[in-house]
Order: sequence, then structure tokens, then C-alpha cells
Amino acid sequence: MKVTFPHLGNVYIAAKALFQGLGIECVIPPLSNKAALEIGSLYSPEEICLPFKIQLGNYIQSIEQGADTVIITGSCGPCRFGEYGEMQMNILRKLGYDVKFIVADSPSDIGIRELFKRIGYMTAYSNKNKIQKIKSLFDAIKIIELMDSVEGEARYKSGFELRKGECKRLLNKCKSEAFNAESPGEMIEVIQHYNEKIKNVEFDAQKNPIKVAVIGEIYTIIEPFSNLYIEDRLMEMGVSTKRRLTPSWWVKNTALSPLGLNSMDIKKASKDYMALCIGGHARECIGEAVLAKEDGFDGAIQIFPLGCMPEIVSKAILPKISKDLGLPIMTLVVDEMTGEAGYLTRVEAFIDLLERRREDVLSRC
Amino acid sequence: MKIGLPKGLLNYKYSTFFETFFFELGTEIVYSSDTNKEILDLGVKHCVDEACLPIKIFHGHVASLRDKCDLLITPRIMQIRKKEFICPKFCGLPEMLVNSIPNLPMITTAPLYFFSKEKLYSWCIASAEKITKDRSKVKAACTKAMEKQNNTSYGIKNQGFRKNIALIGHPYNIYDSFINMNLVKKLNKLGVGVITEEFVEEKDLDIQIQKLYKRPFWNFARNAFGFSTFMAEQKKIDGIIYISSFACGIDSVVIELIKSGIDEFPFMVLKIDEHTGEAGLETRIEAFVDMLGGGINYESNLSPLR
Repeated sequence: MKVTFPHLGNVYIAAKALFQGLGIECVIPPLSNKAALEIGSLYSPEEICLPFKIQLGNYIQSIEQGADTVIITGSCGPCRFGEYGEMQMNILRKLGYDVKFIVADSPSDIGIRELFKRIGYMTAYSNKNKIQKIKSLFDAIKIIELMDSVEGEARYKSGFELRKGECKRLLNKCKSEAFNAESPGEMIEVIQHYNEKIKNVEFDAQKNPIKVAVIGEIYTIIEPFSNLYIEDRLMEMGVSTKRRLTPSWWVKNTALSPLGLNSMDIKKASKDYMALCIGGHARECIGEAVLAKEDGFDGAIQIFPLGCMPEIVSKAILPKISKDLGLPIMTLVVDEMTGEAGYLTRVEAFIDLLERRREDVLSRC
Repeated sequence: MKIGLPKGLLNYKYSTFFETFFFELGTEIVYSSDTNKEILDLGVKHCVDEACLPIKIFHGHVASLRDKCDLLITPRIMQIRKKEFICPKFCGLPEMLVNSIPNLPMITTAPLYFFSKEKLYSWCIASAEKITKDRSKVKAACTKAMEKQNNTSYGIKNQGFRKNIALIGHPYNIYDSFINMNLVKKLNKLGVGVITEEFVEEKDLDIQIQKLYKRPFWNFARNAFGFSTFMAEQKKIDGIIYISSFACGIDSVVIELIKSGIDEFPFMVLKIDEHTGEAGLETRIEAFVDMLGGGINYESNLSPLR
């Protein structure tokens, strides 16, 4: 069995460690790229959202390298993501690829036994004992948490750094060195090393950079290819960014949601505007916009794929928040046709607006 | 107190319930007019750009009623059957309306679940809060409304046509003749009868659903998939027309599921949005009917010796 999975930001680093720990062979698809998107949009239904297309491209590029089993998570909320597994299965079968899908759905819908059966199908190929299996799972969770911490710090500090580009350089080095580590243990060491380094990056106390919160649909904000590397671009512009939705946030949120203790701060912040969960991460998007203001951010950028149902609802609410709190919010809709130049112009214009807003005292009245 | 009942979305299906309930409470009910160009324009003006046509039209209905009533019925329908959602936009509908349309009167924001009496009752209490505090009156009205709703039948089933097709789509696309430009009438004129998803038994739907890897978590998906594969399998119809609004998230999935479930069975998807031209729609319907080998033979007036 050769396992593959779709890309989501830095998850591939943790996934590599997980499968290495389990002793299961795994094919990591080439980082999401134009070719993957082109393959994906060729075979996907026209109106499906962007994540589906990129994921399909990821699978096909992996299958060409020998993968025969796809692992994805599922959901049973009203968002389309829950149906991805079934549709992707159908499409790959029609294309003549013989692949097995392991869909990790929530136990509340398929039952805990079925979930264990599905996971058991995969772990049966592992020759490690139970303790080793559990250890490799915890290692993977630790890696993704550390990785998110490194990335979050780097993105936020890049506005304050004394030597321009240091954070970016450290982040990129961390990613590539962690990925090339020999074992999960070594990988943790490498990331911890960089975590320390990033924490000790020299500050410029004079600087007061523009701070922007990145909010919106979880896949398109985490997977850098789908948002045309917006965080990297903002880093280059000397803008500090913060994104609350990360893979490790997702893990924690999913684990705590049966108890109702997940993301209490976001829930509290979104209460005035949207008190109910409507599927996807619409409520989180609203809550993050409110929190961005509380945390002293200058603005927020919402990103979602064309036709994303939950985010359309939050887009309808964001102008009100923007008006109530005096926080500029820009919405960027991405799909396979998004043109880079137009997109960047909008981002630049938004940053300009935030800068001038600071200078102009009257704008605050 | 005046109650505003906007047409549009699932009010096409559940208006009997809302009507009876508020009538029993002794309130006056104001309806919005049938969907027309002005309502569409109002909706497009107020609604967020990315939303689909039915949501925009609902915004239009609400906007047209806002000065005529004290309480607007904007149902936040969460689930119709247990564990079967509708669409995230329905769940967030009141928020969308409040934040997009200025100067709205009071609106109903309580979540509405149709599958259990208790949950329906709690919606009734929350919505009638401003009208009466008398719980027994609300309960009586709720029970009566439920009964009436259950006794109302919906659906289109034409008989006596040479060719028959199954018309699939969300109720608000099928029953709003402005959105679909009188599709049913147009088909009938071409000599084609129409049948809709209400005329299939629940147990047949359940059997069809078994074919899917995953139990669909949308009510629309269950009905549309179950109905179309059942009809195609039973050969009760000659073709299927799916009427879908542009950028509908649910349809983008359901259409694919149906396509892989019915094989080579004649199937056409009609996309509609606020720019759809009537002539183009007609041409596509005519072509589809021609393909089915039915309809009125316009070319019969030509001489056989061409």
C-alpha cells in the first residue's frame, strides 16, 4: 500500500513523519502547482469549489508516482466538503485509476466502529506495535503544532524585524530542513531549533507595521497556492499577518467540539453577529473579524473560493462589522481563473488604504 | 399586528404552515407579490453579489415587504428530516437579511426544525413572542398549522402526454414561474408532460440512497438523487431536466451524483441566473425534446420530395 493525501499548508511535513513512524509507504504529492490545478479543473465538475480541483490534481500527480490509497477527512456539515470523498472516488474510477479511499468521517455520523474499521484498514499495513503507532500519531500532532507556531511567529514578526527578510528566510529553511529530516524525532528537534531562533529574531522598536488578519475559508487561507501566496506577498511588503485557522487549530477544534469547548474566544466574539454554527467556518470568520479589531489589527482580508456557501453568508455580514467597528475588510474570491496581476493590485491598494488611514487623523472620526 | 410573508425559497412549500399559524393567532397577513422584475431588481440591489438567484429574489421579496408589516417571517430552516440539512445560506438567512437590507422591521430568527413536533413548537413560541404570551393559544395554532401542512399536497404530475420527463430542482426553482420562465407550460406546449419529486415513495428513495457511498446530508440531495435514479431505473419517463441556479453549491454535487447514477439516460441541466435569456432557454428545451423524439413536428409541412 502506498498512501497519499491532499495538500493543506504544512500538513505534508507532519504527514511524512506520521507515515514514517507507522512504517507505511507514502507518496507526498508535489506541492500544489499550476499543473495540479489544470489537471483538477479538467476533470472536476465545472461549478465545484476550488479546493476540490486542487485536491484532485494532487491525487492524480501522486497516483502517477505510484500511490494507490487516498486518505482524506470528511465532514457532515452542510458544507460541500463532506461530499468530496464520494465525488472524487467517482471521478478517479471513471478515469480508470484503481485507488482505494479512506475517508475519516466524524464518528457521530458513521459510528465509531466504522471509523475504527476504516483507520484499521490502513494501520493493518503497519508492522509497528500499538504503542509505537500511538507515539507516531502524537509526534505528528506535535510537529504540526510546532510548525504552525513557527509559521505564525514568522508571519507576525516579519513586520518588526530589524534585518529585512530574516523571518522569511528562517521560515523557508525550517520547512525544507524539517522535511528532509531522517526521522520524526529529528524533525521535532529541527523545528524546535527554528522555533527558538524565530523567537529571538531582533526587533526594531521604531517600527509600527500594518497588521492584517487573514480570515475566511479554511482551505484557501491555509493552502498557499490557492490564495496566490498572499501571506508571502504581505511579508515582502513588510506587513504583519495573523491567521487563526491553522491545521493544529483544526485538530484541537475537532477534538473538543463534542464537548462544546472548542474555540471559546471565537464563539464569544461572533455572538452578536452570528450565534449559530451554519456549517463550514462562517462563524469563525465572523468571530475572527471581531477579534482582529480587539487585538489592534488595522484590517482584515477575507478569502474564499467562488461559490463557497458558508462564506457567502459571512460576506453579507462583514460590511456591518466593518462599519460598526471601523475595521476595513476586503474580500478576495479565488478560483482557477483568478488573475495574479489584478489580485495583487487589489491587495496593494488595500494595504495603501490601511497606511493612509493611519496617517489621516480625520479618518478615525 | 401585521405579519409579512415573503414568497420565495421554501415558503413555496411551507406557506400553508406559516399562514395557518399566524391566522390562528389572529394577526393580519400581508403577502409579497409574485416574483417579478422589480422584486428581482430589489434583490440584486440589496443582496451580497456572490449569492445565488433564489436568495437574491428572497431578499427582493423581503425588501418589498419591509414597510408594510411589523413582523417578517424569515424562516431559518435548519433541517427538514433528521440529520439532513438544507444549505448553509438557509441557516444564516436572517443574518444575511438583517445585515444587507436597511430599515427592516422585526424578523423571526429562531432556528426551525421540521422533523420533530417539540422543535417546531419551540419555533412557534419564539416567533409568536411579540404577538401573544398565551402558550395554549400558540400550541393550538401550531397543531392546527401542522395538520393543515400535512394535508396539503404539492407537486406537478401531468397526464396524457406522449412524452414525459422528470423535472428536478429545488422547489423554489420549480414553482416560481418567473425564475424558470414558465418552464412547465413551455414543456406542456411542446407535448411533454412533467412529473416532480413529490410522487415517489419514501421507501423507494431509501433504496436508491443505499447506492451511495455516503448517506447524503442534504435533504435536496436525497430527494433529487433518489427520485431521478428511481425514475430512470423504472423507465417511467423519457428524460430528466434539472433546473439549477448558477453557483448553487448543492447542485454542483447532486448533478454529478445523478450523472454517475443514471448512466446514458437523457439528462439536461438548465442553469438560471439573473441574466438568463428566454430565447436561449427555449432553444435548449426544444432541442432536448427533439432529441427525445417527441414533441410537435414543426417540419411536417415540408413536402416529402425535397
